Amino acid sequence: MAGVMDRGRAEAVVRAAVDRGRRAGAEVVATFSGGREAHARFARSEITSTGDVTNATLHVTCALGRRHGTFASNQTSDRSIERAVALAVELARLSPEDPEWLPPLPAQRYATVAGRDAATGAVGADARAAAVEAALSAARSADLEAAGFIEHADRFVTVATSGGLAAHYDLTEASFSSTLRTRDGGGSGWASARSYRAKDVDASAVAKVASQKAAASREAKALDPGRYTVVLEPEAVANLLQVFMGSMDARPADEGRSFFTRPGGGNKVGEKLFPAWMTLRSDPQDAQAPASPFDQDGLPLKPTTWVDKGTLKGLVHGRYWASKAGKAPTGTPSSVLLEGGSGSTEDLIKRVKRGLLVTRFWYIRHLDPQTMLVTGLTRDGLFLIEDGRVTAPVRNFRFNESPAAMLANAETAGSPVTLRAGASGWRIPPLLAHEFHMASPSDAV
Amino acid sequence: MDLTRREFLAATGAGVGAAAVRLRSARAFEDPTLRRTIEAALDTAKKRGASYADVRVVRLRHERITAREDHLTEAAQTESYGLGVRALKGGAWGFAATAMVIEEEARRVAELAVSIAATHAKLRREPVTLAPAPAVRDVWQTPLSKNPFKIALAEKVDLLLHVNAEALKVPGAKYVRSWSHAIGEWKIFASTDGSWIEQSITRLGPGYEVTAVDAKSGEFEKREHDLPPMQAGWEHVTGSSFATDARRVAEEAVEKLRAPSVEPGRRDLILAPNNLWLTIHESVGHPTELDRALGYEANFAGTSFATIDKLHKYIYASKIVTLYADKTTPGGLATCAYDDDGVATQRWDLVDAGRFVGYQTTREQAAWIGEKASRGCSYGEGFAAFPFQRMPNVSLAPGRKDLDANDLIAATQDGIYIVGRGSWSIDQQRYNFQFSGQMFYEVKRGKIRRALRDVAYQSSSPEFWRSCDLIGGPKSFELHGSLYDGKGEPPQSNPVSHGCPPARFKKVNILNISRRKRPA
Repeated sequence: MAGVMDRGRAEAVVRAAVDRGRRAGAEVVATFSGGREAHARFARSEITSTGDVTNATLHVTCALGRRHGTFASNQTSDRSIERAVALAVELARLSPEDPEWLPPLPAQRYATVAGRDAATGAVGADARAAAVEAALSAARSADLEAAGFIEHADRFVTVATSGGLAAHYDLTEASFSSTLRTRDGGGSGWASARSYRAKDVDASAVAKVASQKAAASREAKALDPGRYTVVLEPEAVANLLQVFMGSMDARPADEGRSFFTRPGGGNKVGEKLFPAWMTLRSDPQDAQAPASPFDQDGLPLKPTTWVDKGTLKGLVHGRYWASKAGKAPTGTPSSVLLEGGSGSTEDLIKRVKRGLLVTRFWYIRHLDPQTMLVTGLTRDGLFLIEDGRVTAPVRNFRFNESPAAMLANAETAGSPVTLRAGASGWRIPPLLAHEFHMASPSDAV
Repeated sequence: MDLTRREFLAATGAGVGAAAVRLRSARAFEDPTLRRTIEAALDTAKKRGASYADVRVVRLRHERITAREDHLTEAAQTESYGLGVRALKGGAWGFAATAMVIEEEARRVAELAVSIAATHAKLRREPVTLAPAPAVRDVWQTPLSKNPFKIALAEKVDLLLHVNAEALKVPGAKYVRSWSHAIGEWKIFASTDGSWIEQSITRLGPGYEVTAVDAKSGEFEKREHDLPPMQAGWEHVTGSSFATDARRVAEEAVEKLRAPSVEPGRRDLILAPNNLWLTIHESVGHPTELDRALGYEANFAGTSFATIDKLHKYIYASKIVTLYADKTTPGGLATCAYDDDGVATQRWDLVDAGRFVGYQTTREQAAWIGEKASRGCSYGEGFAAFPFQRMPNVSLAPGRKDLDANDLIAATQDGIYIVGRGSWSIDQQRYNFQFSGQMFYEVKRGKIRRALRDVAYQSSSPEFWRSCDLIGGPKSFELHGSLYDGKGEPPQSNPVSHGCPPARFKKVNILNISRRKRPA
């Protein structure tokens, strides 16, 4: 079924840009993407803002030899396309040569990804209001204050090049997240659900988890900073894995400025850096977490294993660096699947003699790219685990830890759950790791 | 007509209302087609029962030019144009936007905004009420001499490649990335209250970063240039030391790579303005946002330790500290004549001689703390974003004595002097922060002894500000800032500046953040 933008119309826009660029003697990459996004936001147990926006942007990159320029606009009348191409050509003409420029890709074959759910594209304001009411109701019954956000998106991406490439992907996204807080500000709980299908996102269930965490986090006790065994819920794992994925570019590794640099030269591909249970791979066709089958240039994003049973098998290669390194380009992965464990967060908790259960992290920033060390904070539900069960709420900590070290110190994981689907697809498990450095106490609730 | 910086200073120095510098007689909102389109939206909203509605027609332009080592990697311009309608019905907000600025679409999105508001009105406990604001008709633009969008691409490219070449002449400097980023924001605001306001704001954010690498050890360090982004013309770049600093910045990257690792512990901390601004942003700017303090950002950006029961009572800082908000600061990234509620911008205190005395507010928020008028802090990023409370420029007032960084260093027995913005992180209620920097220097007996590496400082906002015991004077005051301050769901970016002199803080927790294997 057609998405928010008729595929024929979207393809006509990129073809028009490519044709005009070619007539001006340029090589062209045209990407048209956008759609409709509708949301509702609530806080202090009432609705605060809402929105419904339709917008799409055409990016045109034109190259004259190795000179290239890009112009992008959300105006896509014939005249606007003509202007966009003329400005991209003009920028190219004025630019010096880029020795790293590669001609646009020729026609490619793509995996079919079912990332659009028609029903999700049709969700209206009434349904969002009902979901918000479910969270408000959960808050009322537990005498808590509710805040949160619900969004439905119906998007598309269309790419065409002067080399003959044509790519199109329709996707939907549905998300609901909620933070419930005690009225005295002494407890806070957060939960969320995301899918490409609105029917998978259960606002009541999310609010219930947030409510339980908020109530259970009252009167948290202060523990000393130090190294702890941690059970990270899937969201907390994803927060750190985002840093890890962002560090996986082969180029800085080969250039000597990355965690994945091997001292003395080269990178760490082939080294067993992580525990044997762990496999990290990408597959845009994953049934639960479908993701874009191509990147912004139309490069196919193929199933790839990055870490196989603990051994680093590959790094992310853009087209230019792949050509220099004699590798196949991978593109930046849209799909992240962390695998190798089974069971629930509760199952992991049962294995812990003494440790901390982390709901999610906040404000993560790099400290040292060489060790991938980052800092950040726990938030919205930190609990003490003793003898295999949660025994008390704990006041939040700032951590200084490396996601790579966290994975290296991970004893095991649970079964993955879907955290993102549509444009990107993430299936991430809860994880049990040791020696996690909680660096200083935070008074924040 | 463009104004010089001096003319702008003269105009804004006169006070609140005078911040609106009238520049042009031709007003875009008097264009009949555009006016009819906007009126179509406002009329439709009223006919559908909106008690209030506003329309923003916004054109947002970005130009990004980036270069690495000896070549250009990106020359890109992007623009978005469209119309957004915000409407109140039944005491709730509805918002809808379209990229097609035509009457038919204006009516459609106005109707949609009112309809969404009505659908959600049952989920309000109290109706949204707006503090009064006088209707205005005005035009304002950034005072500038050289519009960066009209500067030849070759001039910008040559500058970046020159910087890169100079940096790479320094032995040990292996990589350099440089960029020029210009943002043009043109918008019309019109409301059912009768305001018609046109503003054109130009912002610039150039920079570069040099990486020094020691291939043998596999170690590396980066040093980023400190030229602040500014609301200004291209003269901001050409009138600065951006180009001539390239070698020094590269030399400092190499110096840092070879520097000894810091010994952790409690030390006196002297922060240069190009570091302190971000600490102000995180530990004062965000906590004094009224929506945060009341829980409106609880699900994302967080809440605040500066709760409303503390207003006018809480000791936020030592007595020498006064921190103020100011959306009229010349060159400030958040500076404008009117906010996105159509309220004239102003200056007011947040912390007065150490005491917490003020919040940032919008028309919707003023009554929440018993104030009669908005502080003018509403902003929406582009036509498709719902305007809400965003941070004005927040600055540390200089001390009375004419001290500069050298004087602060000379007065310090045992400390660390930090220059430039590094890693930054703070908790969701703005207590526990940890910041780093670009360059770190050991201060002993009033002198800089040597460079250090692996430094971060960690504290709690009130504890940190209460430990401030020396502040530089007016001549050492500098304006820095960020083009990208994130808040809200869906997330929006707000440009904001922070001015400050250097300042000293007593006995701050200094961390060594290295995990490198040390030689035995």
